[in-house]
Order: sequence, then structure tokens, then C-alpha cells
Amino acid sequence: MSETLSTARPLRARRRIPTRTPGRASGAGAARGRLGSPGSSLLWAAPALAFVGILLVYPFFRSVYGSLFADNGFTSEFVGLDNYVRLAEDPILGRSLINTVMWVAGTLLLPVAVGLLIAVATYRMRLGNLATLVIVLPYAISGASTAVVWKFMLTSGGAVNQVLGAVGLESLAQPWLLEWPQNTLSLIVAGTWQATGINVVLFTIGLRAIPRDIVEAAHLDGVSGWSMFRHITLPQLRAMTVVVVGMAIVNSLKAFDLIWVLTQGGPSRSSETLALTMYREAFRLFHVGYGSAVALVLSVIVVAASWLYLRRQMPGGTRD
Amino acid sequence: MHGRRHSTTSNPALNRRALLAAAGAAALTAACGTAEGRPPGEVALHGDNPSWDEPIAAAGRRMKTLAGIELVPLVIPSVESFEQIVKSSLRTSKTPDMLKYWSGYRLQDLARTGGIIEMTGPWKRAAARGWVDPELRGAFTYQGRVWALPMNLTYWVFFYNTEVFAQHDLEAPKTWDDFLAVCKRLKSAGITPLHATTDGRWPAFIWFMEVLTRQDPRFYRDLMNGRGSYNDPRAVRALRTIVSFFDNDWFTPMDMSHDDAAAAVVHGTLGMMPGGTFLTPNLQAAGGKPGADVDAFVLPMADPRARPSMIFESSALVCTSKGPDRAEAVKAADQWLHPRVSEAFTHTLQDGCPNPLVKPANPMVEGIARTVREKRLWMLNRFWEQGPPELVESTVDDLAGFLLDPSSYRQVLRTMQERADEAWRVWREAEKV
Repeated sequence: MSETLSTARPLRARRRIPTRTPGRASGAGAARGRLGSPGSSLLWAAPALAFVGILLVYPFFRSVYGSLFADNGFTSEFVGLDNYVRLAEDPILGRSLINTVMWVAGTLLLPVAVGLLIAVATYRMRLGNLATLVIVLPYAISGASTAVVWKFMLTSGGAVNQVLGAVGLESLAQPWLLEWPQNTLSLIVAGTWQATGINVVLFTIGLRAIPRDIVEAAHLDGVSGWSMFRHITLPQLRAMTVVVVGMAIVNSLKAFDLIWVLTQGGPSRSSETLALTMYREAFRLFHVGYGSAVALVLSVIVVAASWLYLRRQMPGGTRD
Repeated sequence: MHGRRHSTTSNPALNRRALLAAAGAAALTAACGTAEGRPPGEVALHGDNPSWDEPIAAAGRRMKTLAGIELVPLVIPSVESFEQIVKSSLRTSKTPDMLKYWSGYRLQDLARTGGIIEMTGPWKRAAARGWVDPELRGAFTYQGRVWALPMNLTYWVFFYNTEVFAQHDLEAPKTWDDFLAVCKRLKSAGITPLHATTDGRWPAFIWFMEVLTRQDPRFYRDLMNGRGSYNDPRAVRALRTIVSFFDNDWFTPMDMSHDDAAAAVVHGTLGMMPGGTFLTPNLQAAGGKPGADVDAFVLPMADPRARPSMIFESSALVCTSKGPDRAEAVKAADQWLHPRVSEAFTHTLQDGCPNPLVKPANPMVEGIARTVREKRLWMLNRFWEQGPPELVESTVDDLAGFLLDPSSYRQVLRTMQERADEAWRVWREAEKV
């Protein structure tokens, strides 16, 4: 827009465009000199920078540094990149990565898709708010408590197998938490039960924000049902979907509490994800350096996945 | 509007400031309080098990009357957090004064740091008074010196329901063949004979430990001390014996917790549960009465020519070198094995006692202690406390893999030996330093 104006009538356009810098906006000239100058902006940002620096940046670089040492909590010895070499050769890394990928895929497939379905199905219902409230309730429960409830359900003698037996479906009864991959899949289902609610709320907010005139125009054009959802609702929900999917990716990569309480990554490390491998190495075995190396690999994956996704999906991101 | 309201009512703002200042001061005081230790006449004993809270407090009250020092239990109810606190603070003056720790190699690991006080003196004084079972000394010794005192004495036994056994004309087995016959009889009566589990990770070692010690206790001792191989035919035989139990369908599902198994024994749906006498409260919580409807036996030897043996477990009372109240901690440790203190502790815990002068806590423990005395059983430390800790942490997962796929026993043993080679190499190198 400004380019068009400047091409047609450059001088007038320049005069008309208000160009107030934050310094001018702050008012008096004296104040501008002290608190509004570009240098003083650093002062305003200092508390935030200090927080981020102390709580995020320093621990990150400390972990990078720590990953170059063989540290057992008592003694520490510089070993260079040995921890990373060991990690690459560790047979558990493969299983851990597969489980992590299963968590990402499962979390995108279940809590996001189911959340969207429930939101679309309930947001116009008379008792839709009540339905949403019921579905969001598990989100208010801590991950550890959720795990305790699901343990009661998923053990071999637990509620799920008992119900299957009671309705004559004994053949479907399984040791849900004992064998891979069904233990990881069971954990994902338990995670879905807890995580879906917040997605329903976010999608419902997104649905309510869709302008009515667009929907009414689509109705007048004879659009309804699946076409309405596919061509009107879904594109209008894009911004909210970006948020929900972004959160789902990060949450699935750092999934920990549910797995730790339900299986401790076992049996025989079969349900371990990268987050659990890191915890186990650093805090159970006191391989602090090795645990730092796992943490760094996990951080790189989380940041890379988030960046790749947001770069493609954020409004304006595709222009880069 | 808001500005005016704030400007005219300055008291709430002042109150907030005062409140914040008070909170800050309180936090600072609390932090300093921790660093400076307990008031005179009190020593904190840090542990990882909430159910030990009351037994420690009971022992502390008794100690107060004897030595003028009260033990105050401070429980960190997470093994991971507890170990983190111990390992990260041991070299600082913020370390806890007394710890409830593990015996065996885990204690040796701690002794190597130089962060704990030698206990050879208190041990000798207790031994001279007959206050401690001398056979336990090895579990608390590193390089010829004692580093901790035993807190309890857990016997590893098989719990069973006496009424269920009576209903099926069964008695506690006295020989290995008796044991197999009991399993067969229970199975034919529709009762799952044996509990096995991977729930909670660590219990995966129980069956390997129990079977191996009954088949060849010397080999178990050698294997646990890095002088044997997991690929040895004797280790293979132990796992094949367990495989035969699987083939007979004698085990519970592998995710049955000890809580549920204890309840199943009391309610007669499970025949026998291997475990330490520390599980007695689990049986009581399910309504069982130790020595009455619930009892325990020591698993008979599979090889009658082998030295009669059983597994024990004993927690270690440790004093740290840099704790703020270490003088009082050492004084308290000197009285720990006093019969009156030990009695208060083990009777509240309902477990065995390392002091032979203390009366057993219940008829079931009394019966086991009598068996140990009469049969002169060789007391072997538990798998969890044997070998470098990081080796044990890995091999319990390997044994869990075996319990879930019994046909994999040879591969599991090969993997365990590979881990053992590496872990023992590291352990011995560290020993030279």
C-alpha cells in the first residue's frame, strides 16, 4: 500500500503518513533523552533478559558444557564428544526415538483430531458448554494423578480387562502395559484423555470467532455439511490450529509424568521416550554428562520441530 | 480513578510491602535454619520411605531418654530426589547429618566419596555388647572398615495364607520337591501359585535371586561380586528353572503390584508371594494377621548339598562428614543399636532386627528368626545391593525383559554379562583411584 502511494505521489504521501517513534511517543524531550533513547530500551528489557538468561540461556549452555564431561555427581572428567558417540551407539536410543515419534504422531492424531471433532460437534449445541466442561475436566488433574487412575484401569487385572471379560470380550483382554508397542499406545490413549479437553476449548473459541457473514454467505451459496467444514470452517480455524498443533508437538516431545508413573519407561525400557532416557541417565544413574547430551539432543529436536512447523504455518511465515 | 484510589489509600500498599518483607525474611530464616541444622538435642535422619517416618520417630523418642538426643525423621518420598540431595550435598556443609541408605555396593559407592564417617568404632562397641549380628558386618564394610550401622533386618521369605494351605492339605514346604508339589496342588485347585512382577522395575530380580541362591549360593555370591559370569551354566540353569514355572503357568501377570499381591494372598486367590519382611504392613493392611492366617517360610534349598542360605536386606544408618550436627549424629549412632532403641524402631516397623537381643516384632518374624538360627542359614545380601549400582540398575531391566519373554533367557544373560564386564571394569578402575 505505501509503495503504491509513494510511486504515485511520493512527496504528499510522505507528509501524510504519521511516523512517530516510541521515543517521540513518550512525550517530553528531557524524558526522551534519559528513558526513551535506543540505549535505554535495554534497561527496560533488562529484567526480562535477566530472567530468560538465568532460567533458560545459562542452563542451556551449562548443559552443553556439562555434556562434554563424564560426571557421576561426585567426580567430573572432560571426555569431549564421547557422550554423543556413546549416545549414537546406545541401542536404547533407537527405541526411545521410535517411542518419541509415536507420541508426536499419536498426539497429533488423537487429542488434536478428537478435540476438533468434539468442538465442531458441540459448539452450537444447547448443552455444548456443559459437554465441553465435562471433557475439559481431566485437564485440571495433574499428570501423576491421571497416571494413577489409568494404572488402575490398564493392569492385567484392571478395570479395562474386567469390563472386556464381563461383556464376553475376554479374547480382547491384553496386558496393556507390559508389551511394546501396545504399552506406548495405551499411554498415548491415557494422554489423549487428559489433553483433549484444552484442545476442545481452544477450537471452540476459534469456531466462535468465525464471522457469521462468511458462514451465512456460504449457506446462501448452498454450502453445507462436509463442504462447509472443509472449505469454510477449517480454513477459518487455521490460526487456532497452528496454536493447538504447535502445543501438541511440544507437549508430546516432552511427555514425562504420565509415562514415569505408569511404567517408569519399562518394562525393560520398552516405553521409554527421550525425556525419560534423559531423566533416567541424569537422575537415576547419575550419568550427568550423558544425561545432558540426551537433553541437548531432545532440545534440538523440540526446537527444530517447532521452528519448522511454525515457519510454515505462522501467518506471514511462508513469505520468508 | 484507579490512580486516585491508590494515592488516597497508602496503607494497603504498605501492608503489601510489609507482607512481602515478612515473607522474604521468613524464607531467609527457613533457609538459614536448614543450613545450620537442628536445635541442640535434635538430629535429623533423612530417608526416602514415608512408612519409616513413625518408626524413626519412635526410636528417636526412646533415644532421647537414653542419650538426650532426639532423632527427627525427614522423609523425601522419592528415591530419585533423595539420592540427588545426598549426592549433590555430600561434599557441602548443607548435607543432612544422618541418612537411611542402602548397604552393600551402594554404601561402598558413598564411602568412596569420603563424605561419610567411619563407623568401625560404634560397630565394635555394639558387637562387644552383643547388640549386632556379626554376620551382617560384611554388608557395611568397605576396604576393611565399617561405614554404617544396620537399621533393620529384612528376611526374604515366601508369604502364604495358612488357612488356604490347610484347606488343601498343604504345609509350608521343607524341601524343593515339596515346594514344587505345593505349586502343582495350588494350580490344580484354581489358585495362582506364585507372584512375580516387573511392577516398579526393581522386583524383576526377585526370582533370579531366589532360585539362584537355592541352587548354588556360592555362585550367587561370586557372581554378585564380579567373580562369576552370567553365561555360566549355573546362571542358565536358574533362568531355565524359572522358564519351567512359566511353562506350568504358575505365575501371576507381570504387572501385579506387591500391594495387590499381598491382598490376594490374604484373600486366598494367590498361593505364595516372595518378598522381604518389610511387606508385613502390606499384608496387615489387607486384613492379614502375621503368624495367624498369614505366615512365611524360607524357600528350601534346591540342592540339598549346598550350604543352606537365605537372602537378607538391611538399611544402613550413615553419618555424614560435613553435616552441621555431626557430633550429635555420631553420639546418636552410638546408641542406635541399643536394645531399647532398636526395639522401638523394629516393632513399629514390624520388621526383623539386627540386634539379636531384641524380641521379634511379631510371631511371623519370630518364626523366621528361629529358622535362621536353627538351620544356621547363610545370610546373603539382596541383588539390589550387590555389584556396582549402575550395573544393577541395568540388569533389573534385563531381567524384566526375561520375565516378559522367558524364551529370551540366553540372550538376556549374554547382555547382562556384557554390562557386567563394562561396569566391573569401571568399578575396579575407580577403586585404584
